[in-house]
Amino acid sequence: MLEVERLEVGYGALAALHGVSLTVRPGETVALVGPNGAGKSTLLKAIAGLLAPRAGLVRWEGTPLTGEPAHRIVERGVALVPEGRRLFARMTVRENLELGAFTRRAQAEKEGRLARIYEIFPRLRERDRQLSGSLSGGEQQMLALGRALMGGPRLLLLDEPSLGLAPRVVETIFGILRQLHGEGISLFLVEQNVQAALTLAQRAYLLEGGRVVGEGEGRILLQDEHVRAAYLGPLARRG
Amino acid sequence: MKWAWGGVGLGAAFALLPYVLQREDLLNLGILIFLSVALAQSWNIIGGYAGQVNLGHAAFFGAGALVTRSLWVAGVPLLVALAAGALVATAFGLVIGGPAFRLRGVYFSIGTLGLAEILRISVGNLLPEISTIPAASLAAYSLLPRYYLALGLAILSVVAVALLARSRLGLGMQAVREDEAAAEASGVGAFGHKLTALAISTSLAGLAGGVFAYYHVSYYPQHAFSPTWTFDALLITFIGGVGTIHGPVLGALFYVILKEYLAVRLVDVHLLIFGTLFILVVLLLPGGLVEAWARARRLVYRSG
Amino acid sequence: MSAPPISARWREGVDVILAQQLVLGLLVGGLYGLAAAGLSLTFGVLRVLNIAHGELLMLGGYGSFWLFTLWGVDPFLSLLGVGPALFVLGLVLFIVLFRFVVRAHEEIRIKNSLLIGFGLTLVFHTLAIRLWTADERSVTTAYAGAAAKIAGLTIPLSRLGGLILAFAILTALHLFLTRARWGRAIRATAEDWEAAALMGIPVERTYMLAFALGTSLAGIAGGLVSVAYSISPAIGLEWTLKALIVIVLAGLGSLFGSFAGGLLLGVAEAASVVVVGGAYREAVGLLLFLVILLTRPSGLFGGR
Repeated sequence: MLEVERLEVGYGALAALHGVSLTVRPGETVALVGPNGAGKSTLLKAIAGLLAPRAGLVRWEGTPLTGEPAHRIVERGVALVPEGRRLFARMTVRENLELGAFTRRAQAEKEGRLARIYEIFPRLRERDRQLSGSLSGGEQQMLALGRALMGGPRLLLLDEPSLGLAPRVVETIFGILRQLHGEGISLFLVEQNVQAALTLAQRAYLLEGGRVVGEGEGRILLQDEHVRAAYLGPLARRG
Repeated sequence: MKWAWGGVGLGAAFALLPYVLQREDLLNLGILIFLSVALAQSWNIIGGYAGQVNLGHAAFFGAGALVTRSLWVAGVPLLVALAAGALVATAFGLVIGGPAFRLRGVYFSIGTLGLAEILRISVGNLLPEISTIPAASLAAYSLLPRYYLALGLAILSVVAVALLARSRLGLGMQAVREDEAAAEASGVGAFGHKLTALAISTSLAGLAGGVFAYYHVSYYPQHAFSPTWTFDALLITFIGGVGTIHGPVLGALFYVILKEYLAVRLVDVHLLIFGTLFILVVLLLPGGLVEAWARARRLVYRSG
Repeated sequence: MSAPPISARWREGVDVILAQQLVLGLLVGGLYGLAAAGLSLTFGVLRVLNIAHGELLMLGGYGSFWLFTLWGVDPFLSLLGVGPALFVLGLVLFIVLFRFVVRAHEEIRIKNSLLIGFGLTLVFHTLAIRLWTADERSVTTAYAGAAAKIAGLTIPLSRLGGLILAFAILTALHLFLTRARWGRAIRATAEDWEAAALMGIPVERTYMLAFALGTSLAGIAGGLVSVAYSISPAIGLEWTLKALIVIVLAGLGSLFGSFAGGLLLGVAEAASVVVVGGAYREAVGLLLFLVILLTRPSGLFGGR
């Protein structure tokens, strides 16, 4: 279980998160939606250990995560698929995947997991010797997802998985996320595509201006007046 | 302001020294200190205020020395020779700075490193023989004018830095040093400021080289291009307090006196000590002696 | 049958001299490449420019020299000791100094690494002079004079061995970087350290490994220099510049690119010797360096 308690994160003099609290229970899929600049990415980066919070606590499976370096957090079973994928463009698909299993624990399961990833993403197997920089957007997202899964995470953090992808590709990706959910992996995703996110997630939080302003079941939020007005108008329904 | 009065007092003391103590070794030590102050302050302008690490400062010192020496020995009046030396040094500075400053900082650093070496090698090949003063000048050689010339140069360099530090130009340089992109965004032309800093820096360095050439009776021309001068400039500036007005002065006093003291028993050991001190300063005490002094005073005030 | 005209025989003689020089240039070029590869690795991964790289090479050279002089260890064999020793020194330097430098962002990182490298240069250079004097040393093995004679050209075997070994080591390093788990971690960290951290890669430890590999390469190159050429404390700065010249020529990012760049520099130097004479050998390389540095900006930062 992931517990975020009154997390405060700032960049220099600016504060991006003002005391954010939320939870992700084991096996749950939770979404975080909100406008641009609300601090969604910041929250994920802080959980993953790329940013140090100014105050507050993040707990994973009972023990604190805050203050741990990013690579240690990965070893604890939490993996982030960063915004924009951040693939190693000059390395091949296979090399990227194998790097995902860098930790010693993951090394033991490497071959098995690689085979499994290729099963879920046959397109990656086809392109496994190709430089990852030359893949299409959708393939890159699959690779980023696969790479994170190579570490055998119990909690997957996803930062804008649908960004820049065509609707059909988004469907495929979200289908796979549903599959992962079915296998018991907890998912916490930050998404611009509110429709897709709230359909997939059991629960969702609303983040505005660095604060949690709403929480509820995915389907119920989908019907909520404020949410519909702010995020599901013709402008928001872009993905 | 206290420092300013201290500086004036120090300058006056040095000016009166030859009348109080007629000791040649002290005069020589004094000249060494003054040259070091000038050399360090000249580096301080480009490295401390403008934040561009010049790793080949010897190139400009050497150029000034070479040109001044050649002209003066050939009969050209000293002041003209000095001016020419400064001019040539500045020209070299612009040749490197012009292209290098449009690129990232590191290009300037390694570019100056390469320039100094190229000049040292070339001069060593073209002028391998020792340079001596013609017999007539040798007979008339007096330490006093050289002492006052060097003192004057040291004072000039300190005043130059003092004026620069508070001027718009100087503040612009410091803005570029802190964050070039932000400086550009607020209208401070980074390229112009860097190049101006380099021009002032190299002309001062060239003058220092010229005074050196006027002072030494005989030396190998390539010695003026030796990396030693770059080392000295950086060591003195950083240990004294980079980017401050009085840092290089403190540093020069500390450096030259300690060096002379150590040289009696252990040649070159001063470089080990200062090299280590330098690294410690860069990592732990970026303000050098100036900062150390300020911290010590605060400690005393707090406990007193 | 009449003898060929004098002019033709003279031209043939010059051709042989030229060819001989080019071959020798090629042989030393391999070591240039090896030296550059170490610096390139460190800069490419850590964004740290260790100006003291040449001093580390010099230390490696003295390592081989003393192992040979005191205990008769064959210099090529001594590399098995020198390599690891310089690797450990690299670990120490990282833990004590450069670990703190890498915590800042890129521009400050580079600037601080230049300054610290500068301080280290001074310290190592002075230490070497104190310990071993400024004399030139060379490892003269029993087979020192052995050379292969092919097509009228003399190819010193120890130098040939150096070239082959340099290539072999770079090949081994390449395999490490492409196949091994930690080698890939180094490449990943070089490309995007945050993404690497998200893979579970401990970034600081990876930096340390890359840095130590760089210093180890410098040491090995130094050992090869001591047997095929000569060493003295003065070669430190010289080889740092060689490495910088090659990096600017060949760009970052490829070990074999560095190797090829080194060969190119060696050949270019050799060709220039025939034209302007040996005294300017270094200067030509430096001139090439300055021209490329200032006109082709992408040199140091490659494809970034």
